[in-house]
Amino acid sequence: MSTGEPDQIPVTVLTGYLGAGKTTLLNRILTEHHGKKYAVIINEFGAVGIDNDIVVDADEEIFEMNNGCICCTVRGDLIRIIGGLMKRSDRLDGMIIETTGLADPAPVAQTFFSDDETRARTKLDAIVTVVDAKFFPARLEDSHEAEDQVAFADVILLNKTDLVSPEELKAVEAQIRSINKFATIHRTRRSEIDLATILDRGAFDLERILTVDPEFLDAAKHGDDHHHHDHDHDHHGHHEHGHAEAKAPAGAAHLTRHDSTISSISLTIDGPIDPDRFRMWISTVLREKGQDILRSKGVLSVEGEDRRLVFQGVHMLMDSNWGQPWRAGDGRTSKLVFIGRNIDGEALRRGFLACARPA
Amino acid sequence: MQANGAKGPPRRSVELGAFVVGIAHDAAGGVVAAATGAGKVVLLPADPLAQDAPREVEAHRGASLAFCRGPSGADFLSGGDDGRLVRIGADLQATELLKARRGWIDGVAAHAGRSMIAAVAGKTVHLVTPAGLHELGPHPSSVADLCFSPDGSRLAVAHYGGTTIHLTQKPAEKPRSLAWKGSHIAIRYSPNSKFLATSTQENALHVWRLASGADMQMQGYATKAKSLAWTHDGNWLVSGGVELCVCWGFAGKGPEGQPPLELQPPGDEPVLITRVAAHPAAPFVLLGFADGQVHVADIAKKRVTPLDGPTGSPVSALEWSPDGWRLAAGTEAGTLRLFDLRPRG
Repeated sequence: MSTGEPDQIPVTVLTGYLGAGKTTLLNRILTEHHGKKYAVIINEFGAVGIDNDIVVDADEEIFEMNNGCICCTVRGDLIRIIGGLMKRSDRLDGMIIETTGLADPAPVAQTFFSDDETRARTKLDAIVTVVDAKFFPARLEDSHEAEDQVAFADVILLNKTDLVSPEELKAVEAQIRSINKFATIHRTRRSEIDLATILDRGAFDLERILTVDPEFLDAAKHGDDHHHHDHDHDHHGHHEHGHAEAKAPAGAAHLTRHDSTISSISLTIDGPIDPDRFRMWISTVLREKGQDILRSKGVLSVEGEDRRLVFQGVHMLMDSNWGQPWRAGDGRTSKLVFIGRNIDGEALRRGFLACARPA
Repeated sequence: MQANGAKGPPRRSVELGAFVVGIAHDAAGGVVAAATGAGKVVLLPADPLAQDAPREVEAHRGASLAFCRGPSGADFLSGGDDGRLVRIGADLQATELLKARRGWIDGVAAHAGRSMIAAVAGKTVHLVTPAGLHELGPHPSSVADLCFSPDGSRLAVAHYGGTTIHLTQKPAEKPRSLAWKGSHIAIRYSPNSKFLATSTQENALHVWRLASGADMQMQGYATKAKSLAWTHDGNWLVSGGVELCVCWGFAGKGPEGQPPLELQPPGDEPVLITRVAAHPAAPFVLLGFADGQVHVADIAKKRVTPLDGPTGSPVSALEWSPDGWRLAAGTEAGTLRLFDLRPRG
């Protein structure tokens, strides 16, 4: 994702399992007088009054590339629709793409990495996932899509909080955190949220992650922090999380967790990395483990370079750019996070540490 | 014909204020028309020395997405994101020909000899013939592009997974499918009807020999080629998506095992070619670049000559007049430039 291109239109991907409250949120976006002009790309357009926005009816067309790589699947309809929208003369403030309840978010995200034209004109802003607080535990049991949608998320609307007890809410939040500890969670009822908190967030902009997402900083501070959600690590007790509710409460044990293997891990080097070594290592990791790694992100310090090297990946596809310069007094720490299945935290940690610039 | 000239050929530049989606000349060559991302169709004299102000009509509420000359030769067709296919007469009268049930009309083609129109609406292609209206499809995915065969007997449709060739006189008959994995985004018959070329999402060209169904793949493009052109004699296939003018030779045995002819545009910095257009009667190909430059490639002389410099915006539409003496180029930023290459004095 090239950051900082002035004319790139921010794109929000809206996911969520069937019945989570996605349509309610969408109707809110379409009918609220937000004073912005959005293009909303949806699957089935019900009858709602539209203020100022453009609604495009889409069929999810998943295209595999001819090379047969599953990680290169893209949304063909999106390439076509975004190409068409870019011809319009009215200036768009953003695009919102709704995915169907059973959709894998990967092809949508990968479209913004792999199609040159789409990439030049738009930037993936955030993946927003609506989660049903009451039924999410059950969904985890019977669908890997619900879990993938949480794993991919930058922002999570934990919705229908009025339908669960405070204990249940804590438990479901802990489940979400066990899958994805880096997403920002908003608790909502009837998908009621200030749209400014979910649109144009720059969640794929790593500068923003560092400033708006304390969880990212927090987790990064603790270095390798590989959560196992089926049991509580002893060392969790030592963590000074500002997010006590993010930890699995003792009562969570009664929740029958299916055998999920999605987890998130963050890695830190207290200093600069060797960019060539890092590039070689991360390419190998994503090539070999990219099927399992859903998201990867990093902010890296490179010796002799005043700017941050920011990095984003979805499965095997990745993008890196020079970000904001380090300020005087910044720690110049190199941080990297992975969210995925069967993450071998120890191997990743060793590999990343080997990219450290020798002091 | 001279493609250069120290002082340059007569030219005219007009600001249309919105993305130039498509350009067409009327069959007589006196009028050039352009459709824009603001949904307007603009008509003006094809002669760059004429001073007449452009005349315009609102064809769509949103953007025009596809544009071509109509089968009569005197009118124009525009498809838009309001789902309408509109005919624009020389008198600027706009007539709705079709309204898609849902979605956009984002592809349109016409055949003069058989008075046919084809328009893309999602997975369906609407074929309008003197015999009536036919719905072709649904195709395996939304249709990306379409073209009639030179004699109009066939209509080739590009989509995910390959192409489908319909018989225009027997539209109910089972069409021919030519499969090649991947997403096909542009399609053009060779003028001798021997070959069918597509470009694909994987930054490659694909060509079928229609007699045998055998196919070939041309790779190595910098990006996907949205524009394809066969020279008038069918001897060369040229496309955008690359910084050189790459010409695949289809005379004789064809390009298999042969390197393409690569013509280097002048200039220090390589710039991506976004649009190409083949001359109607000579082995010349117009090249439109990502910075707005327009060059003419003379394949016989293996030479590329600049016609106009950069405007800062990618060339999005490029057309020769039917007699091949005039041409028009449009950019994404909305500049329409007209040139006349007729020898002077």
